[in-house]
Amino acid sequence: MNKRIKKLTGERTAGYLFVSPYFIHLLVFTAFPLLFSFVLIFHKWNIISAMEWAGLANFIQLARDRLFFRSIGNTLIFLLIHIPLQIVIALLLAEFLNQKIRFRGFFRASYFMPVVVSGVVVTILWQQLYGQDTGVINSLLARLGMVKLPWLTSIRLAMPSIAIMATWKNVGLYIVLFLVGLQSVPKTLYEAAEVEGASHWQQFRHITLPMINPTMIMVVILSTIGGFSLFIEPYVMTGGGPVNSTLSAMLYVYKQAFSFYHMGYAATLGFFYALVVFSVVLIQKKVVESEVPY
Amino acid sequence: MHLTRPDKKSDIMYLLRSGTLHAVLLFVTLFFSCSDVGETGGERITLTYWSAANQYEIDLAAAIVDEWNGRHPEIEVKHQPIPEGSSSEEIVLASVVGKTTPDVFSNMWPGDIELYAQADALVPLDHFVDYDSFAASRYSPGILQESLANDGRCYHILWKTNPIMMAYNKKWLSRAGFDHPPETYEEFLNMGETITADTDGDGYTDRWMGITQILVTWWQRFFDYYTLYIAASGGKTLVENGVIDFDNNTSVAVFRFLQTVFSRGYFPRERMDARSDAFLHSIVATRFVGPWEVVHAEKFKPEGFEYDFAPVPRPEGCSGPVYTYGDYKSIVLFKNSRHPEEAWRFAKHLVSRANDLKLLEMTNQLPLRKGLTQDTLFIPYFERNPMMERFARQAQYCRGTDYSPVLKEIFDAISQEFEASVIYGLKPPEEAVRRAAERARLISDQL
Repeated sequence: MNKRIKKLTGERTAGYLFVSPYFIHLLVFTAFPLLFSFVLIFHKWNIISAMEWAGLANFIQLARDRLFFRSIGNTLIFLLIHIPLQIVIALLLAEFLNQKIRFRGFFRASYFMPVVVSGVVVTILWQQLYGQDTGVINSLLARLGMVKLPWLTSIRLAMPSIAIMATWKNVGLYIVLFLVGLQSVPKTLYEAAEVEGASHWQQFRHITLPMINPTMIMVVILSTIGGFSLFIEPYVMTGGGPVNSTLSAMLYVYKQAFSFYHMGYAATLGFFYALVVFSVVLIQKKVVESEVPY
Repeated sequence: MHLTRPDKKSDIMYLLRSGTLHAVLLFVTLFFSCSDVGETGGERITLTYWSAANQYEIDLAAAIVDEWNGRHPEIEVKHQPIPEGSSSEEIVLASVVGKTTPDVFSNMWPGDIELYAQADALVPLDHFVDYDSFAASRYSPGILQESLANDGRCYHILWKTNPIMMAYNKKWLSRAGFDHPPETYEEFLNMGETITADTDGDGYTDRWMGITQILVTWWQRFFDYYTLYIAASGGKTLVENGVIDFDNNTSVAVFRFLQTVFSRGYFPRERMDARSDAFLHSIVATRFVGPWEVVHAEKFKPEGFEYDFAPVPRPEGCSGPVYTYGDYKSIVLFKNSRHPEEAWRFAKHLVSRANDLKLLEMTNQLPLRKGLTQDTLFIPYFERNPMMERFARQAQYCRGTDYSPVLKEIFDAISQEFEASVIYGLKPPEEAVRRAAERARLISDQL
């Protein structure tokens, strides 16, 4: 009996020891910062001076901060362009790469390549491509007799340009996810549909799409969360300009915290923004789930 | 012998007692092992000194520190370039928060002095008995005044300056029929009309009069709006007697001038900082730069490229010397230092005449020292480097930034309006300047 208790106690201790690195990491890098930033939202603090109690002042400032709401609007515009573009391109390319084509492995690796390249490197590269007078894209357009476009210096074009670049950077990841989804669809379904005389489009619409719905939900949610954290691209390429048209919410929070040292206010913005993201993802999940029942 | 199992309560008490004893022992051991010999034995003191992290300044700091250590065996200075980070400002902030500051730091942006002074992180230098004589021997009266924080105390040695001037392509200017660099806005615009061109005939401009950074980042405005404002106003800064005072005709004139420059296409509305150097490769004819341009141009200019420097342009009708932004850097002592007296001695050594000459020779940066161009020690250097002499002469007419803990936000407000009005022409200059000033006042009032 004693031996059994000892063994159990030993196993329990070993278990605790195994989980302790993760638990300590969670405490130090997630739980503590979360708790600390919750405390911060009621304080004014510039990092180096003592914290001052601010009550609800940060919330009042937030309610009046037009630029913050504009930055959320900008992020939503980015999402509206980026998510559909990413899903359509990723799905088409996944469908293409799911066929028996030559050099399939090479194509799959090529599409995934931008995902593993540093975001800053990709951004600097695209900044050169987008140059108005000296960029490669405009040089090509000019050679084709088309007008050079102010990709990053037009208030209307700057955010779509960033969305195109972000799509190029991330599409490889979603191609892989869709490929996994496509390969899990039983071939017998397509065979049966062919026997029934269904066209390719009908097979895609009535078999592929419903069958990959769980993947679709995952892709939509992942790309939404990824899109809400839009930061590197505007930070490096445009600094939030022209005229705040690419100022994303994350960039605004960053500026408040690390350019102006308004830690309390930045924490308040962060909490509010997290609520926005959570609400959007929740609504999105409901909509996507109800759209295509599976 | 009868062994009894101790109860739970005494177990806890034992653990507490033993834990406390161990903690005390650990503390005592750590305390004594961390104390340097200088304090306990009176033999040797160690100071930590952070320099800027560019190779020129690392070499300079190493040379100065080697010399110091050779002469002062009782005070050892350990030199370390400021740790890597996206900017030295962020690293300094992190070290102040973490209380890991060095004793001496030599690349402080004076705009941050007020923030750290208010947070009680800096040693006031006027607390040292010989500060007044030191300051009188080094600074001109104007610079002495500029070195004082809002509380009237001095927390830094204004060490070096990079006066902003206009670099220009000599060949282009003469080819365009101009015998001198533009001195007024009108001359600059006239030259822009001639020089800006589509040279390959594809319908798009590929040669510009000048360039400035179009990013809205707050400090970018030091090198266009702020420099031109100081020049146009005869040396005024943004704050006068503690009051925001830049919503005036001078600011409007600067905004209007630069707005015209952009709207006529004399400056490109794009970034060229990640491609080959636009000035040295004759894509732009002018740019506003500091003396760092001399070393850079000499190293990278193509064969036959001729350039020179002139004061920045200002509105018609201005007279007197042309002032500019000085882009100062300071030396500070942090309060964490356990040896402030010795740190002060080392800081004075850093800015001795001999080391100021080293600063010039090794980094091509100008020491902020009065009578620099007349001092016999420095004259041979300027004879060998006539371009640097232009900057040294300009250094007599420089201004830094105001002392305010919210200076970055004030410049951010200006930069936002600058972008909308000057670069994109969405607002008249009057409205942009007024809004920037209103925002700046709001920010200042919240202090």
